[in-house]
Amino acid sequence: MTERIGEQAGQEIPDTVAIPADATVAPATAAEIRGRRQWPLPKLAVPDAPLLEVRDLKTYFKLRDGWVKAVDGVSFGLADGEALGLAGESACGKTTTALSLMQLLPSNGRIRGGSVELFGIDLVPKSEVAMQRYRWREISMVFQGAMNALNPVIRVRDQIAEPLRYRLGQPEATSTARAVELLDMVGIPRRRSGAYPHELSGGMRQRAMIAMALACDPAIVIGDEPTTALDVMVQAQILELLERLRRELGLSLILITHDLSVLAETCDRVLVMYAGRVAEEGPVSRVFTAPRHPYTRKLVGSFPDLRGDRRQLAVIPGQPPDLLTPPPGCRFAPRCEFAMPVCTEVVPPEVRFSDGVRVACHLFPTSDVETVSTGASAPASAAPAAPA
Amino acid sequence: MTAAEGAIQKVRSERWRLFLRNTGSFARRYASRADGVVGLLILLGFAVLALAPNVFVGPLETATRATGHAFDPPSATHIFGADELGRDMLNRTIHGARISMTIGLMATLITVVVGALVGIIAGYVGGRLDAVLMRISDFFLVLPTFVLAIILAPVIIEVVGSDAEILGIRATLLVIIVVIGLTSWATTARIIRSQVLSLKGRMFVDRARVIGAGPGRIMVRHILPNVMNLIVAQAVLTFATAVFTETTLSFIGLGDPFQPSWGEILNSAQSTGAPGLGAWWYIAPPAVSVVLVVLSFTLVGNALDDLLNPKSASRR
Amino acid sequence: MSGRYLSRKLLQAIVTIVAIVLLNFVLFRMMPGSPDRILLKNPNLDPSVIEAVRAKWGLDKPLFPDQLVAFVGSTFTGDLGYSFKFRGQAVTDVIADRVWPTVLLVGLGEIVSIIVGLAIGAYTGWRRGGTADRLGNGVSLILYSMPYFVIGMPLIVIFAAGLHWFPTSGMGSIGGGNKSLVDGLIDLVRHLALPLTTVSLGLIGGYSILMRSAIIETRNEDYITTARAKGLPDGRVLRAHAFPNALLPMVTLIAINLGYVIAGAITAEVVFSWPGLGTLTVSALTSRDYPILQGIFLLLAGSVVIANLLADIAYGFLDPRVRT
Repeated sequence: MTERIGEQAGQEIPDTVAIPADATVAPATAAEIRGRRQWPLPKLAVPDAPLLEVRDLKTYFKLRDGWVKAVDGVSFGLADGEALGLAGESACGKTTTALSLMQLLPSNGRIRGGSVELFGIDLVPKSEVAMQRYRWREISMVFQGAMNALNPVIRVRDQIAEPLRYRLGQPEATSTARAVELLDMVGIPRRRSGAYPHELSGGMRQRAMIAMALACDPAIVIGDEPTTALDVMVQAQILELLERLRRELGLSLILITHDLSVLAETCDRVLVMYAGRVAEEGPVSRVFTAPRHPYTRKLVGSFPDLRGDRRQLAVIPGQPPDLLTPPPGCRFAPRCEFAMPVCTEVVPPEVRFSDGVRVACHLFPTSDVETVSTGASAPASAAPAAPA
Repeated sequence: MTAAEGAIQKVRSERWRLFLRNTGSFARRYASRADGVVGLLILLGFAVLALAPNVFVGPLETATRATGHAFDPPSATHIFGADELGRDMLNRTIHGARISMTIGLMATLITVVVGALVGIIAGYVGGRLDAVLMRISDFFLVLPTFVLAIILAPVIIEVVGSDAEILGIRATLLVIIVVIGLTSWATTARIIRSQVLSLKGRMFVDRARVIGAGPGRIMVRHILPNVMNLIVAQAVLTFATAVFTETTLSFIGLGDPFQPSWGEILNSAQSTGAPGLGAWWYIAPPAVSVVLVVLSFTLVGNALDDLLNPKSASRR
Repeated sequence: MSGRYLSRKLLQAIVTIVAIVLLNFVLFRMMPGSPDRILLKNPNLDPSVIEAVRAKWGLDKPLFPDQLVAFVGSTFTGDLGYSFKFRGQAVTDVIADRVWPTVLLVGLGEIVSIIVGLAIGAYTGWRRGGTADRLGNGVSLILYSMPYFVIGMPLIVIFAAGLHWFPTSGMGSIGGGNKSLVDGLIDLVRHLALPLTTVSLGLIGGYSILMRSAIIETRNEDYITTARAKGLPDGRVLRAHAFPNALLPMVTLIAINLGYVIAGAITAEVVFSWPGLGTLTVSALTSRDYPILQGIFLLLAGSVVIANLLADIAYGFLDPRVRT
């Protein structure tokens, strides 16, 4: 079995490809970034705690017939100044994870387990009123489809100034001036700042949403498919804008997208989700050039390459599972070409490799560093370390 | 029997079983709505009273058969006291149920039949006919029910004569029935029409046309069963409005003192000065009855609408 | 709002009003027998007198087109004929006398019920499913099922006949002409209290229910999630984001409702013997005073049409998406 994996890895991708993606990351340290903050850290912040640490997050939705296990044991972390991409097909739980961070779930959604630690402060047990302190000031969000996410009867400039006035207590003149400044920064001219959302083009609306997300100088900005509804040219502009802002302001970014090319360009690390669980996670350079999880491999392989040879697009047969009654064991097993009997019985444990990649797959029962978490008991045989 | 007959019988019994199962599940879903159940119970109570008032309180007390004294307050013999002519209020109120609900029922029938007819035809046939029908219904929608009723009523009474009687209902009340029907059909027609429009685009209609079914047959055998749900829900809500409107029209003086509905009783109460005299027993029974009936029809109608109307997605 | 939109709505309104006038004509002429039989109830009159009266009223001319044209013409020049009951008085005068009390009662009632009804509806819709919602919605439903007189009569029994806080009927006390301004005002307020409460309660239910569903619809919009994401307190999200958007369809509904409310207030006026259009209508009804009835019909139906037109115009102003 080990040889098979080695063959696979060896055949597909050489392991010494230098990916210059890291050059876009701001080299500042956590201390520097935190030192540059406009506003002090939250009172309850634990000193030296990582920016964001999500452990075993479980978010379910209550339907008439039961609970939909949309996010079922997701863990990841985010460091200061880092850009993390959340990838996966539709309805794999990416957006639900993001909404869970800010507790913006619809009325039938509940966080049923796990913790979300921002600067060491667990946000999960916080009440709605307590959460309000952290929303927008520490974590903000750029929603998909700005046309619906912006209030149609309020001017764009006023919507951006709103958190400044009502959360930070700034007087009207100051907040409006700052809002206009922010719009200018994202490329919307001052004279258009008094427009209503429907008077702006799609790209400008998205930029306005970005400006709005930055209003309170948050530590983390979550972008939920911020470029999906836009054409390619505008998409490129928006991404460039995000990148520039990240560098200049030391922002940490969580980018949700199903478009891997966008992810590869913008992010340092990527988290691949499938059916509410983490399949693979690691530096973009590693995951895209040497994907380990069968799903990741299919995902990466299914992306058309402009310069590649004209072969058939790899298609993953089957459908994502019904999350009301998900299959036991690994959720990808029904569609996985490498599925083994253990895959349909035992949830694969997460395993961490020395190159920073985490995988949850029975093909990799142990790592060369440590076993991160165990869903249920791992199979007895400890195979030798997988090749890096 | 032949093989074909056997097959047809099997299909029929299968359809029957399916119908029973659907009805059962519908009943269960309906039962989960507390407001609908309460409304239904209240309605059934009044329906029973309305069907056979004589069984409960004996014949209607008239001036010559009054059993109490003028404005008797409630007592052991007269639970709701008596009116200005000494007639027992309980007796009057329960008989009033029969009148009010019968008028409501007949008015609803007219409204729903006309409205559904117009709605289905306009929706299915479309084109110029639809445009014309909708213009007419728009006009009726704009007319204030009430005002039209007030204008039409004396005119119709002049035409028909105030002593005529049809189906045991006197002329004045017939007027009310006609007037309510005339002014309410337009709303129902509009709602049914929009449902028919969305049905028109569905495949089974095209299939029926390909087989060669004529428009009349399609409308009756295919469209009608599918809007039946909506018609029923609309009928119930219309009933609520009909009772409400009839009560109001009777209160104004268009009612009939010989077949007193609740509105008519309240009219007498008003004109004999009962409120000023503090004779609450004259007012309360008919007033509470009207509110209960209208309320319960509204509750049932809302529940039905939520359960049956595919468009109104009620979020839990 | 484009000129095209405005002129189209205006045209529709005019067409409808013309149709109403025609309907008015038809209804009046639908009566069997000539109107003079009702005018002159005395059967012993000399035929020549009858002829003279018929000529005077233009009843000897053919129905169509002469009478029709005369009718339409006089309607649009403000001549609505003369009352049967109040002999010699022009319909327009009789109606004009009664307009102010109705406008006062109904106008104030609308204002109060709009403010309170929208507030209750917004609050209960926002907190959907809570005890406040169930209570508020339940009360609204009950009030919505109660005709004005069902609300008004108990109020009289309790507060006027029972507690003697307010008078039982009328708009002013007898002999009111000699009062000072302040006394007159107090007297008016005392008489206005119960009728106003009745009209307001009667209207609150409907507005509350409508606003509630408008807010429930709005609550599911994406920009509400955005507002919550901004960490704004719940009250602000409701007031500044949900409410203005929910109000847009409400404005149209309120304006349209205004057209009907005068007709609805008829029963409220009757209960309190309020000297307005409502009581005029009922007395005209009982005395078969057709010219008055026609005039009121024209007024009320016309006000519905105009209210609809104003509703369309108002919506054009309020929704920025329609404006540009």
